[in-house]
Amino acid sequence: MDFGFTDEQIARRKEFSDVCKDLAAKRPAEYVGFESAYDNEPSWEYYKLCAKEFGKRGWLTLDWPAEYGGSGTMMDRVLFSEARGYYGVGGVDVFGIGMLAPTLLAAASEEVKKKFLPPIAAGDVTWCELWSEPNAGSDLASLTATAIRKGDEYIMNGQKTWTTGAHRADWAFGVFKSDPEGRPHHNLVFLLFDMKTPGIEVRPIPFTNGTHIYNEVYLDDVHVPAENIVGQENEGWAIVNLLAGFERSNIDAIMALIRQLEDLVTYCNVTKRNGQPLSKDPLIRNRLAQTACELEAARTLAYRVADLQNRNEMSLMDASALKVFASELGERYASLATDVAGPYGQVKFSRWAPLNGLLEAMYHECFVFTISMGTNEIQKNIIAWYGLGLPRMR
Amino acid sequence: MDLTFNETQEILRKMARDFLITECPKSLVRELEDSEKGYSPELWKKMAELGWMGLIIPEEYDGMGYTFQDLTVLLEETGRNILPGPLVCTITSTFPILDAGTENQKKEFLPKVASGELILTTALLEAEGTFSASGIAVKATPKGEDFVINGTKLFVEMAHAADYIICVTRTKDGASPEDGITLFIVDAKASGISCEVIPTIAADKLCEVQFKNVLVPKKNMLGELDKGWPIIEKMLEKGAIAKCAESLGGMQAAVEMTIAYSKDRVQYGRPIGAFQALQHMMADLWTTMTTSRYLVYEAAWIESEGLPCAKEASMAKAYVNDAYKYVTRWSIRLHGGIGTSRDHDISLYYLRAKAADTAFGNTDLHRELVAQKIGLI
Ligand SMILES: Cc1cc2nc3c(=O)[nH]c(=O)nc-3n(C[C@H](O)[C@H](O)[C@H](O)COP(=O)(O)OP(=O)(O)OC[C@H]3O[C@@H](n4cnc5c(N)ncnc54)[C@H](O)[C@@H]3O)c2cc1C
Repeated sequence: MDFGFTDEQIARRKEFSDVCKDLAAKRPAEYVGFESAYDNEPSWEYYKLCAKEFGKRGWLTLDWPAEYGGSGTMMDRVLFSEARGYYGVGGVDVFGIGMLAPTLLAAASEEVKKKFLPPIAAGDVTWCELWSEPNAGSDLASLTATAIRKGDEYIMNGQKTWTTGAHRADWAFGVFKSDPEGRPHHNLVFLLFDMKTPGIEVRPIPFTNGTHIYNEVYLDDVHVPAENIVGQENEGWAIVNLLAGFERSNIDAIMALIRQLEDLVTYCNVTKRNGQPLSKDPLIRNRLAQTACELEAARTLAYRVADLQNRNEMSLMDASALKVFASELGERYASLATDVAGPYGQVKFSRWAPLNGLLEAMYHECFVFTISMGTNEIQKNIIAWYGLGLPRMR
Repeated sequence: MDLTFNETQEILRKMARDFLITECPKSLVRELEDSEKGYSPELWKKMAELGWMGLIIPEEYDGMGYTFQDLTVLLEETGRNILPGPLVCTITSTFPILDAGTENQKKEFLPKVASGELILTTALLEAEGTFSASGIAVKATPKGEDFVINGTKLFVEMAHAADYIICVTRTKDGASPEDGITLFIVDAKASGISCEVIPTIAADKLCEVQFKNVLVPKKNMLGELDKGWPIIEKMLEKGAIAKCAESLGGMQAAVEMTIAYSKDRVQYGRPIGAFQALQHMMADLWTTMTTSRYLVYEAAWIESEGLPCAKEASMAKAYVNDAYKYVTRWSIRLHGGIGTSRDHDISLYYLRAKAADTAFGNTDLHRELVAQKIGLI
């Protein structure tokens, strides 16, 4: 049992940290929290700048095979994620880099890989995920949007929803019914398509705080070249499951929370209430310390998941446990941080807001992690059924 | 980074698990709870033959020379099985001797600990029940070649069976409570010592020990005069991690028992484990155990590497205290009525969870230590 890093890894970590620290200094004031990159222009410009910088350095592809531009290891990717999370730097597309690229590497044809991986590696394109529909959320396989093969094209129709960043994305990956009459789980197709294709309409849905993060996407006779398929026609469900396995890596979010707690400690040390710094309040000390313990537990479990991945022993159970634990910790943290700040805990990004409005932003953004990427209840089903061997729900 | 046990550890773990299953069945655990001694000398002897008391004592003092991390592997198993008796108090009492003992003291005590001849314990707490130096009032005053100890210690584990007691005394009213603390290795059979077992939740034989004009030779002073507190802090740090390892094993046992029971017990025509309300609770218990696990392993690794570990030790203890109680409380709930019977093994773990929580500092104490370490002024 060894939690240590090699000298090489320590050097690498410093390199990641130094660059992220520099980039953090360029972050615009409007860039508050995890999701705001999608919301406003300055934040989006900044996000693209970071993406380009990382692409140039080859850091978006650290754990890829060398022939596709890989220049490091799985652990390097973890260390890079930590640095980005800690310094609150965007620029790594959760959809393109985090989910699609590993899926393509594992399951796509050589042509698809050659066409789509290089722009992802360069940080040139942004992707969105067209999965959820108004009537198909957790039960994704019940979706109704279609993609019907006609000659060497698929024709897509239907509605998708909650699509994060659809209004920013260049490309999309989506899952559709290719055989509406077919057997469940054997009637879907997984497609890649340009968001500028005629027939796609993106309408904003306001998030709880009114920001523009996600969208509804309407598809009206959208033509997609059949060569943009991943996997086989009617067997898109296999790709969905493969991709979902890559969704739950949380180390950057955990490091972001660790950093936020550090900033909250500083805030409590310098902010006076009732004639003394908040940090002297035993209840606040106790609550912050509890959070620190839980964050360390989350961080060590993230290392456990990384260590398993590194040895190609991915454990669904550990990854699901990490997703549930870290995301619920995020909700508790949001509640704590906004409590501690008293009346200031409710203040949005403005001159009255402590920590640039981050506390208030967390109160909204915590749901990103508990609800999306398979709700926590679905994760608990996974732990119970596949991990603990309990009988599946009827 | 490699978060798996090495070969030595795997062997140790398997050996300990197999040994305890045969040598320490739950019937013995209950028998020892009810007994006056609280441990089995025959079992103690067999454990000594396996080298457990001397596991982390260096080979030059007849120990096994294993690492601290290896010790936590063993303790995870003793916690999993439940092993009553003086193993943990003896081992944690060797920490101050290893850290601060003179060569003579090491030579005198450590080989006999390793061989199982000596049972040790540490007398720290007093009437206030605090783990901080301010609670230490038991006095030691110099007299010729000796010191004279007077006062009452409380919650001294297995003191009634111990051969030596490491007694934390006040030798000076210093500028701060930490200043003026001195440790002595006291012969538990010395005249003036009387001992009474306090009835506690896990029947783990925590004692009240009264010292009335007890003479202890100066050569038995452990560390320097008035400067003993940092030695105790270090002992509490390692002890906290050791206790966490035991608790982790206990959690594992409770979770496994609960899952197995839920697959077995049928109500409404199906195993109760098919009910989603219970599935999610069990997923939660497993998650609580697993988050505890890597927190404890990390602290054990840092300690083993000889790196500063106070923060991680306190984080682990604060977290695991709550986790063990939570997991065992819900394990009983998921068993229903039978879980509340003393005859069912699951209840044994629920009691240990409370005892473990108190040992080496409770949650609020360790959270306060964490608060200091994360920079709250
Ligand atoms: C911030 C955010 C961003 C998102 N981004 C995207 C995106 O980019 N692309 C995309 O495709 N989707 C996205 N989603 C959608 C997300 O994947 C879905 O919200 C999620 O899968 C849940 O589906 P639903 O909203 O329809 O809820 P439902 O599935 O209707 O669930 C409602 C409640 O019922 C529970 N529930 C459902 N089934 C079960 C069960 N079997 N057992 C126990 N409990 C159950 C759920 O846990 C939840 O609490 C995003 C969502 C959020 C909140």
